[in-house]
Amino acid sequence: MAEMWISMGPQHPMTHGLWTLKIKVDGETVIDTVPDLGYIHRGVEKICETRDFTQITTYCDRLCYASANTWSHSYIYAAEDLLGVEVPERAEYIRLIAVELQRIASHLMWMGAYGPDTGNLSVMVWCLREREMMMDLLQELGGSRMHYNFPRIGGVKRDLPYGFVQRARSKLHLFLQRIQEYEALFDESTVFLVRTQGVGYAKPEEMINHGVSGPNLRAGGVNHDVRWAHPYSVYSELDWEPPVERSSIKGADCYDRYRVRIEEMRVSALMVLQAMERIPGGSDTYHEPGDPKLLAKAPSRAPEGTSGYHHFEDSRGESMFYLAGGGDGRGKSPYRVSIRSPMFITIPYASKCMIGYKVADIPAIMGSFDPCIGETDR
Amino acid sequence: MGRVVPTSTQKASAEKLCKAVSKMKGVEAEPVERTSGTSPRWTVSVVCEADNWRALAEKLRETHSVDYCSMITGIHWPEGPDEKKWEVVYHFLRTGVKNPPSSDGVLQPIITDPNAVKGNDVPLEIEVSIRLPDTRTPSVASIQDIWVGADWNEKETWDLVGIDFDGHAGMRRVLQPHETPTGYHPLQRHHNLRYHGFEEMYDDAQGFGRKPDDIGKVK
Repeated sequence: MAEMWISMGPQHPMTHGLWTLKIKVDGETVIDTVPDLGYIHRGVEKICETRDFTQITTYCDRLCYASANTWSHSYIYAAEDLLGVEVPERAEYIRLIAVELQRIASHLMWMGAYGPDTGNLSVMVWCLREREMMMDLLQELGGSRMHYNFPRIGGVKRDLPYGFVQRARSKLHLFLQRIQEYEALFDESTVFLVRTQGVGYAKPEEMINHGVSGPNLRAGGVNHDVRWAHPYSVYSELDWEPPVERSSIKGADCYDRYRVRIEEMRVSALMVLQAMERIPGGSDTYHEPGDPKLLAKAPSRAPEGTSGYHHFEDSRGESMFYLAGGGDGRGKSPYRVSIRSPMFITIPYASKCMIGYKVADIPAIMGSFDPCIGETDR
Repeated sequence: MGRVVPTSTQKASAEKLCKAVSKMKGVEAEPVERTSGTSPRWTVSVVCEADNWRALAEKLRETHSVDYCSMITGIHWPEGPDEKKWEVVYHFLRTGVKNPPSSDGVLQPIITDPNAVKGNDVPLEIEVSIRLPDTRTPSVASIQDIWVGADWNEKETWDLVGIDFDGHAGMRRVLQPHETPTGYHPLQRHHNLRYHGFEEMYDDAQGFGRKPDDIGKVK
């Protein structure tokens, strides 16, 4: 049969955002792919050069709609490295709680979208129901539903509100029970198994060389997690292990990538429960905003010649900010902000994984990598 | 919990890497302690001359098992010193993970004991900075064939900053439209945002008094 190029996107259910995947097909088989990104490039890096360090947090929240908190925290850690701020331990625990709740919400959003991708529509409603519980908890912390603007350079905006711990505990225990329901929904659905098992193999050694990270990498049996290998915050003080999947020798398929996210939600929920037990000063005490136990003093200017960076485990892989000091207003703004987006690196690799499979497998393969175009295009 | 790589191991590993790399021509390396949150960690900071970059990259990959290219940043310093008008900063990770072994057709994940890791298995963060003098056509050697992960990073750096990568196959615009004029790279410092400066934002929050810079210009 004649070979031809087809453009999937920018408006296509497979893309989960705006981008184009050009595929070369021979009949029904994909033989080549070229991803084409940049449809919603907003120039965040350029805008940040004219904003001061506090204002940038707001832009970082808006990098990813599904996982806003992890992105603002990723920036804050890099800024603290640049400005040389030491953060109070209580604030670190509150940050950890906020980030892990966001990770659960982000994975639930992914699962809710992946169900319809693979012909399991009811999953979406179930997942959004539990995501709502996480959003409520995050709203209590940050004050808004989506873009929380929660962390500050040197600490956090507010302490845990009254009664937060009790509500979080009951919601997380309920959530831990309901994870079993999702597993049943997916694992007992023949359609889901047929569409994901043995589809979209990704080899572990290739993934490391291609810069793929996070859950996608751990699905291939590789025990690499930034929270584990390069620990920041208080991750090293909690009792946990990154979930690693036992994939087949061909590599990780879509089913492994689904399994690893389920396990990761469970680990994150347990981590939040643990953090609430161990938080210094107790989880029932409340400090007013700006208390030195929540917020350390931070300089507002970074002199020229300084730089800061931080590797951070985002919901989708390793995100990273690099900041060079000494910009406008005698160092009030950074001179250069550079963002590493995990999906920007993963989408080219995911496109390679599709070669050799049928056109109908593309939504299952692409969806399993959890693309988010907001952070990809920046 | 004692479940992370001890600081002393990481420090020794960083110092060893610096010592080995500093012997090369045109390469200066020093271990740097970075603190984020409550746990300090040792990283390696390298300054390399552009001509020696390719040799250093190969050495890092082959001898020191630096297996993961994290990010490439291009910076334009029009007002910097003469030898640093452009800068390329690379961030690498040594993940310290190996290919998982298989038994019965299933990969068995390696769960390493962080207290016992040594040699090239110690996770490490490496930063490499390359400075370029004033030129209209800044260019450094591509490392796309050593770490495939550098491929799209290099494309992005050329697209936004205009630093070219010698030997990069298939260079093209990735974030900007394909029909962007040749030579237009928005993160170069002489391109300003339309509404520059934040005071203006506060004085005129609604934006009624503001006009675009290019008003009256014909395309």
